[in-house]
Amino acid sequence: MNDETDPTTPPEPVAAIHGLRVEIDDRPIVDGVDLRVLPGTVTALVGASGSGKTTTGLALLGEYPPGARVTGEVQRPADGRVGYVPQHPAAVLNPARRVSALLDDLARPRVRHLPRPQRRTAARELVLRALSDARLPDAEALLRRYPHQLSGGQQQRVVLAQALLLGARVVVADEPTTGQDPVTKSGIVDQLAAVAARGIAVVLLSHDLDVVRALADEVLVLRAGRVVESGPAARLWQAPRHEWTRRLLGEQRPAPREEAPADPGLPTLHVRNLTAVHDRATTVLRVPDLALHPRECLAVVGRSGSGKTTLGRCLAGLHRHHDGEILLDGTPLPRSLRHRGRDRLAAVQYVFQDARAAFDEHRPVLHQVARTAVRLRGAGERAATDEASATLARLGLPEDLARRRPGELSGGELQRAALARALLAHPRVLICDEITSGLDTVTRRGILDLLAALVRDRGDLALVLITHDPATAALAHRIAVLDAGEVVEQGPAGRVLTEPRHPFTVALRETIDRLGTYTRA
Amino acid sequence: MTAPRRLLLGLAVVAVPLLLALLGPLFAGEPGPRAASFTLGGGHWLGTDFVGRDVWQQVLHGGRTVVLTALAATALAYLVALPVGLVSAVTHARRLEELLMRPLDVLLAVPSLLLVLLVASVFTPGAAGLALLVALVNVPDAARIVRAAAAEAAARPAVEALRMQGESWWRVAVGYVGRSSLRTLAADAGIRLTGVLYLVSTAAFLGVGVAPDAADWAVMVDRNRTGLFVQPWAVVVPALLIVALTTGTNLLFDAALEKSPRRKGRRP
Repeated sequence: MNDETDPTTPPEPVAAIHGLRVEIDDRPIVDGVDLRVLPGTVTALVGASGSGKTTTGLALLGEYPPGARVTGEVQRPADGRVGYVPQHPAAVLNPARRVSALLDDLARPRVRHLPRPQRRTAARELVLRALSDARLPDAEALLRRYPHQLSGGQQQRVVLAQALLLGARVVVADEPTTGQDPVTKSGIVDQLAAVAARGIAVVLLSHDLDVVRALADEVLVLRAGRVVESGPAARLWQAPRHEWTRRLLGEQRPAPREEAPADPGLPTLHVRNLTAVHDRATTVLRVPDLALHPRECLAVVGRSGSGKTTLGRCLAGLHRHHDGEILLDGTPLPRSLRHRGRDRLAAVQYVFQDARAAFDEHRPVLHQVARTAVRLRGAGERAATDEASATLARLGLPEDLARRRPGELSGGELQRAALARALLAHPRVLICDEITSGLDTVTRRGILDLLAALVRDRGDLALVLITHDPATAALAHRIAVLDAGEVVEQGPAGRVLTEPRHPFTVALRETIDRLGTYTRA
Repeated sequence: MTAPRRLLLGLAVVAVPLLLALLGPLFAGEPGPRAASFTLGGGHWLGTDFVGRDVWQQVLHGGRTVVLTALAATALAYLVALPVGLVSAVTHARRLEELLMRPLDVLLAVPSLLLVLLVASVFTPGAAGLALLVALVNVPDAARIVRAAAAEAAARPAVEALRMQGESWWRVAVGYVGRSSLRTLAADAGIRLTGVLYLVSTAAFLGVGVAPDAADWAVMVDRNRTGLFVQPWAVVVPALLIVALTTGTNLLFDAALEKSPRRKGRRP
């Protein structure tokens, strides 16, 4: 994307930031950030959540958090046109208006110089061109829809089209790939690359290093509001100078996998002829045979909507509408967790994807975690609290933090608390549903290491990892690939990832290669 | 306006009618001899009413029925609506939910005042009967709101997480779902009390539940409005007291619901 700029004359930046400092209540959020945004290039700001990426990105729009004290200089494009694609694009699209209306509003001022009868068609042409530039192909059908009838990726592209219609010379994209599966992710990468190829400066705020690596020309590494390192992407990846950068980039590589237990013996959990339905009619999942052995880690991968979560929920007893059998140590498990009884409820535990929504916001986290031991193992109130705080401490959550309510903890902290809550049941099978999506690499690595250690240390624990993140799947001994509710492939992780057989797995493998995530140890 | 100031204002506004209603009869004393209708002065500092009684004394006597009936009716309505709404929101059995909610929908379809008048013309209820009746017409609304607020909370992953922990039905339904719906329910209770006051006053105004010449704020407004331009106090004072009661209650509920400025959660 850099090739279009003329090497002889240094290009003028379209926007720049010098010594930006943003404080709230005398606490700096961003401290001394310098940034030059060049036309046709992708500048990436990377860092863990809370490192000041979004604050810096919004400064380019002239937006600051309420009550902030701002010093430093922000030089914005002369016409002030900066587009912003937020992490949740639905929030900026008026839900009561069709896509065509949302885009026409922006196109109309640009055709005002034309005679009245020509304006309508000219505006429509502009809209269609913006949509095709934003890589939305079947635009005609899309224009008639309302924002909620679009997928998340489509919404994102409509917001991008709005920015292009405005004639934005800088587009700020905030975490555009968070929570997306690899195939969608590579689509987003293409789309942002196309925008940059049109001579627009793209500022990418992300903690997704694969995307940064595939797209960025310039990278700024932020930590606690300060730029710890900046430079061309290639240089940064090959020779990171700062220790933090090295850590951030290094965390990406998957941990060496533990060897699978030699003699599997009797499976802990055995699924036979499972057919799950939604609304009593639509079949959403078919699993003929799936076994999980003690001390084994099974990754269930697939795109969103492939039935991964439904499988996890069937096992946990949260999805009751299914046929077939789920055997725990050879005896069938009741379908609903309400009929499972204390011991069998404790044996199969489930960790929810959205940790914040899975906690009661009114009660301290420590208390909620301790309840598992009280209810499922009959521990006393004191003993349960002691065990909870010991488990939380082992997962890196100190007691003063655990005594707070969920609203005061970050997403990563809550995810660890949710893990502790399930572990206090001393489960035989632990099901983790996308528990690392939406976390930055350092936090994600921390949680994955914890899980690996758990399988190693707790004699009979078996782990089910539901994920679309290949780095997470690489932790597993075995992988089952789901597509449209069918198990299309399953086997040892090494075999599935190196010699994929099913077309879907091949496609998955290719996108992984393109984004450069999966590096064989 | 800050929460504590709103709380004080609400308390001040609601205290006047409430104290008058509850303690008024103690201080009213013996009714004096009747004077001419709709006069001002002559020892009656709020004048006289349509049959020549002292208006101030009537005001002191007339609040208790209105206020107590309204409070009792609201409390009774919630006593029924809460368990019905909670159970139908939390249960997985579609049939139980239908069984609980459908009969209420039928009741909802009948205009409340029509129902009150219809039953009153058949049974001629007293104050307690009126409270029961008004509570009955409020149950369907209240139950639906309880169910809607609770259903949202019951669909959260937190409920599944609690079930995964083996928590009891009571702890899930009341301890979490009920508690999460509390803000919505408190707001509804404030509005409902106003609505109930309005209904009780209207019923009294139409002569249901109280005698036509009874000392009752609502009846006073009705009977004395013929002399509104001769002697306005006999209408204005009881009307203002009813308005103060409803406004004050809503201010109080607003202030109670306004969260004290707590530390915000850490956000990226």
